[in-house]
Amino acid sequence: MTLLRAYLRGLREGRFILGYTLLLCLTLFIVAPFLMIVLRSVGKGWFARLWLPPQLTLDWYRWAIEVGNIPEVMKNTLIIGAIAVAISTIIGIFAGWAFGRRHLPGKEILMAIILLPRMIPPITYALGVARIFYAMDLVDTYFGVALAHVSVCAPYAILVLSATFESLDERVLEAAAVCGANTIKRFFYVVLPLIMPGILASMLFSFTSSYNEFTLTLLTYGPHTVTLPVRTYLAVGDGYWEITSAMAVIMVVPSLFILATIQRRAKPEKLVGGFKGV
Amino acid sequence: MADAMIEFREMTKRYVTLVANDHLSLTIERGELMTLLGPSGCGKTTALRCLTGTIQPDEGQILLEGKDVTHVPTHQRELGMVFQNFALFPHMTVQDNVGFPLMIRSVSKPERERMVADALRLVRLEGYASQYPRQLSGGQQQRVGLARALVYHPKVLLLDEPLSNLDAKLREEMRFEIKEVVTRLGITAVYVTHDQGEALALSDRVAIMNRGHLEQLGTPEEIYESPRSKFVAEFIGLSNFLEGYVQSIEGRDMLVMASGVSVSTPALPAIGPGQKVLLFLRPNEVEILPREAPAGTNVFAARVDKATYLGDTMDYRIALGQGVELRVQGDARRRYQAGENVRLRLPRVRSWAVTE
Repeated sequence: MTLLRAYLRGLREGRFILGYTLLLCLTLFIVAPFLMIVLRSVGKGWFARLWLPPQLTLDWYRWAIEVGNIPEVMKNTLIIGAIAVAISTIIGIFAGWAFGRRHLPGKEILMAIILLPRMIPPITYALGVARIFYAMDLVDTYFGVALAHVSVCAPYAILVLSATFESLDERVLEAAAVCGANTIKRFFYVVLPLIMPGILASMLFSFTSSYNEFTLTLLTYGPHTVTLPVRTYLAVGDGYWEITSAMAVIMVVPSLFILATIQRRAKPEKLVGGFKGV
Repeated sequence: MADAMIEFREMTKRYVTLVANDHLSLTIERGELMTLLGPSGCGKTTALRCLTGTIQPDEGQILLEGKDVTHVPTHQRELGMVFQNFALFPHMTVQDNVGFPLMIRSVSKPERERMVADALRLVRLEGYASQYPRQLSGGQQQRVGLARALVYHPKVLLLDEPLSNLDAKLREEMRFEIKEVVTRLGITAVYVTHDQGEALALSDRVAIMNRGHLEQLGTPEEIYESPRSKFVAEFIGLSNFLEGYVQSIEGRDMLVMASGVSVSTPALPAIGPGQKVLLFLRPNEVEILPREAPAGTNVFAARVDKATYLGDTMDYRIALGQGVELRVQGDARRRYQAGENVRLRLPRVRSWAVTE
């Protein structure tokens, strides 16, 4: 809204017209496809010539839920997400501790290897994963799909938690020791509360990565482990654009919720660094 | 030594290439405020961290109340410590920060609240109990640190450069506050600093450290008045040094020829003519006299090179003899101008023999 007001004011005062116009185009470019999907999912009898749908309806959502079996698919997506989050957070805590607290020889190379699955084309990586999973009978299991997701979730978790552990002040731990706290008490009363924001951030990032993951799921899923992105993609193949659009909108809702949580509740600087001492 | 509170016995700590503490032996009496003073890298912080148990000495022992604690883990040593960067728990309120050592010791809640309130009153922070550290100023945070260190009545209070993160004015204020609190509680305290002003103002005794060993141990007065080495003299207060050699010994005094002037100073034990000595004078121990003042012992003609007005004092650079420049501080009510010819009287000159 602020942006819009600023744009209108700029227009009125005749300043930065070119800049603001470009900015508006960019905004439309980003928002338009999304707008299109939302309109499609509630429009009835909307054909190419018309600017807006002549009739609004929620029928497509009912169809999506009933025919597309969305509740089941949503359940799969959330369970797989939860498993992926759990595994990558545990990996992230140990690896983050090692990266953030220890003088690790070859730290840069190790970090590069961890980030590798994010750098190479997902389909390349997914093919390899699928090949191994077929051999190990992991295809079409919650654990298998989640494990594939971990390869993209864990790098996030490790990055965020390394930063968290790095910002943990050695002196504060020393102070706790001088105050009389042994290792276990230091961990529960000081370390854990201080890294908690980092852990939450890493869980949020991991969850959204898993929730949105398409390529890796496509090559490891089966009839019992269809996730929302895959279900939506399959619906495209069925040719019902309205139902597909409704699915796409349903899929976006939790993402928006998480985004809102990140922006409002947890300040990004708190999330990544934990608290700074002074 | 019945009442030794802390004792370092021949303690040595080495880092890869560096000896941080070289056979350090030091005894701190009960109820005494001892300052470890020295430039950075002198080993004072290493000594303190060995005392807290954060690091382990390679050789030697540390005794607390006569008991060997060299290998006792930090949390069992019953110490209180104030840190340079405050090291408060950022996720806890002032109340919980100060109450932390009590909570760890399972002190009951009402008792804990009473003790925390007492500690906060001691550092004049009543009414801040529910604030978080980040809401407080540096000085207030450090007072919370002090309250946390004192709340459970530890045997020893350790202060690791507690004032270096504060601005100059606050530093001076906190200095008195710390001194007052420590004196009132009669607690044994070890204060680590590189600031000579703090050391002189606070300590019962000062241990000056240099390159891992003890350079001199004494009261602030002893250290300032009779530094045992050039290092100590340079580190504490302002000083002038003159190199010279002994001309003659006359009873209890000796005459030293330094840069063309012949200075009389108390004779050093076992010294003979021709030996090299280093003369040492404080800038405020030199008297500037008008040119027409009568001659006498240790009165020399000199010329003011530079005169700087510092408010309550004048700071002079004065050329004496052959190319020696002395720093002299004098009363600002009687000013000499740059270029003026004057006489200098050196009422008190100390010296050390120079060994080659």
